Amino acid sequence: MPNKSGKVYGLTILSPIIDDASVTPSHDLQIRKYLATLSTNEGSPFAIAPGTHLARIVVMDDVIYVGMPSCEEHLRSKYLVLESNCDGELDDYLRGLAASVPEQMDAIWSHCVGYPGAADHEAFIGYMKACQIETTFYFAAVNDRSVKETLRALQTQRAVADFVASHQGVEPVQLQREFLDFVSQLRSEVIPPVGSMGPRREIKTGGRNE
Amino acid sequence: MSRLNETDIQGFVLRGYNMPFARYYFLRFNAAVAACGLLKRLLPEVTTGQRWDNGKPDSTVNIAFTFHGLAALELPDATLLTFPVEFQQGMRKRGAVLGDTGLNAAERWDEMWQGEPVHAWLGINGSSIEALETRCAQIVALVEASGGAAVVGAQDAAAIAIDGAPTTREHFGFTDGFGNPDYLGVERKTQPGQGKLMPDGSWAPLATGELLLGYADEAGELPVAPVPHLLASNGTFMVYRKLHQNVATFRAYLDEHASLYAGGKEKLAAKFLGRWQDGTPLELSPDKPDAAIAQDPSRSTNFTYGGDADGTRCPIGAHIRRVHPRDAFGFSGRLINRRRITRRGLPYGQAVPEGEAATDQEDRGVIFMALNANISRQFEFVQQQWIEYGNDAHLGNDKDMLLGNHGGHGKFVVQGDTSATNPPFVCSKLPNFVELRGGDYFFLPSITALGMLAMGLVDPR
Repeated sequence: MPNKSGKVYGLTILSPIIDDASVTPSHDLQIRKYLATLSTNEGSPFAIAPGTHLARIVVMDDVIYVGMPSCEEHLRSKYLVLESNCDGELDDYLRGLAASVPEQMDAIWSHCVGYPGAADHEAFIGYMKACQIETTFYFAAVNDRSVKETLRALQTQRAVADFVASHQGVEPVQLQREFLDFVSQLRSEVIPPVGSMGPRREIKTGGRNE
Repeated sequence: MSRLNETDIQGFVLRGYNMPFARYYFLRFNAAVAACGLLKRLLPEVTTGQRWDNGKPDSTVNIAFTFHGLAALELPDATLLTFPVEFQQGMRKRGAVLGDTGLNAAERWDEMWQGEPVHAWLGINGSSIEALETRCAQIVALVEASGGAAVVGAQDAAAIAIDGAPTTREHFGFTDGFGNPDYLGVERKTQPGQGKLMPDGSWAPLATGELLLGYADEAGELPVAPVPHLLASNGTFMVYRKLHQNVATFRAYLDEHASLYAGGKEKLAAKFLGRWQDGTPLELSPDKPDAAIAQDPSRSTNFTYGGDADGTRCPIGAHIRRVHPRDAFGFSGRLINRRRITRRGLPYGQAVPEGEAATDQEDRGVIFMALNANISRQFEFVQQQWIEYGNDAHLGNDKDMLLGNHGGHGKFVVQGDTSATNPPFVCSKLPNFVELRGGDYFFLPSITALGMLAMGLVDPR
């Protein structure tokens, strides 16, 4: 099962973008414009729909000709690329996208050849799977845990670290009592929303160093 | 690898002079013709890497240029645009990459770094304060007589003296300056632990191209360097950072947390750094300082973390384990061989002995200078990924305990075991123990390149 690494699914979808010279701006530019407005944290469609560890959408124009001695080649189409690391079975994941964020899916994929729309879930699933490329040598850097398990673990780690830091040196009896209270309170906490646990980093990312 | 031409490389690059006094002048050039005239006069003063077989001089002079300085010297545009982007931008503009925000933001730097950019750094070292003053007076007179530049700032630095003798201590009380890397072709006293770790556990020199431009680096590539080759070869890049130390905050934080830590204050301080105050590596002596180890060059830097994966001896986030992880990331240490830097520098400001009242406001800290062939790949990577972030060490968003720009948040975990004197411990609500007060990126050319600059002979064709 090269598409899966443990419990996590590595999904790659290449959808050909409609080539229609009569449309202004062109379909690929319309996708780029829409993607530029999408949220990358809690408001992302991939945070709203269940099961995404991380996802990236790319507009692939063409292969770049680097000069001699390579030969000049071109793609037959522009493509929309979706890469996603997600939980569980593919059909369930795609159905979740169609059910949770149909407007966003349609806004993006309606510029692609043969896209049936998200309203018909089975047609949507069938289309995406027809565009799928098999993933090979897949490594999921998420410790083989589901999104929910990961969020719960991060929440627990943070809470425990704070508890430890604030209870060092406390008498054993008091410590035990407060720890039991802490644990029962932690158990009742709701799992934080997807996209809300990311680092609040002040520093710039995406430089050559990363 | 044949032997390097030590007469063509600035001495500051090849060796720490081990002189207790220094002054760093910062210059802004006047018209290019006059500035080149100044360089011509300075050229015979510049200390090279030539060995001091006829006795050590009592002072040294070295010079380096910012990108703005090279532009002021009117280097051809076709040369200027071949310098690496981070050098062209300068340290101020790289603030977002480096995490130089908040208390470390450029708006809070010393006056000298505000307004028009600095053009050049003149580093003068002296074996005595008299020797330093004499040489400085001579060099400043030379600068003024030339009309080529104005001195826009000066920074004194000096080894902290204890009982009248210079030491390698810094203001928090730790012994500093262990373990610069060895490089192929650089002759110096070597000791195990200072190069790169080999699969058989021995240590070997790093490729010359990790330090000097014009030579193959650890990937077998030539570092990104300006054209023409002759301008770059035997030169390097220097990162200059004035790091203010909040000694009062450090002592108060240590006292407060040591009262809760069963290992005691001395050990908690050692856990922050990874060495006891006398320099003994925790990895080799986890329970007490051991002068026999700290002062033995065959042992003081000769250790790895492979046997301490849980950090129960040296915490995983301890300063020295973060900035030089050795084998801590596996793969026999090979992941870090392109992230090494050579450090120079000295403390500045009046030292306050333990037990005497200190404030954060008093001007004291460390002048940190790093030499590397590629600022982006080496210094900036260490600063961004290993000091201001923790992911490589599996420490999430935790930053370096001592150098991190914490802003009152963040935590440092002291891993422990079940023994009474080595319990696990968490330090939270971390203040900024160190604050950045200014600095920039400099190009330290070879003697040949200095001559080319002085004579206006840089030709990119």
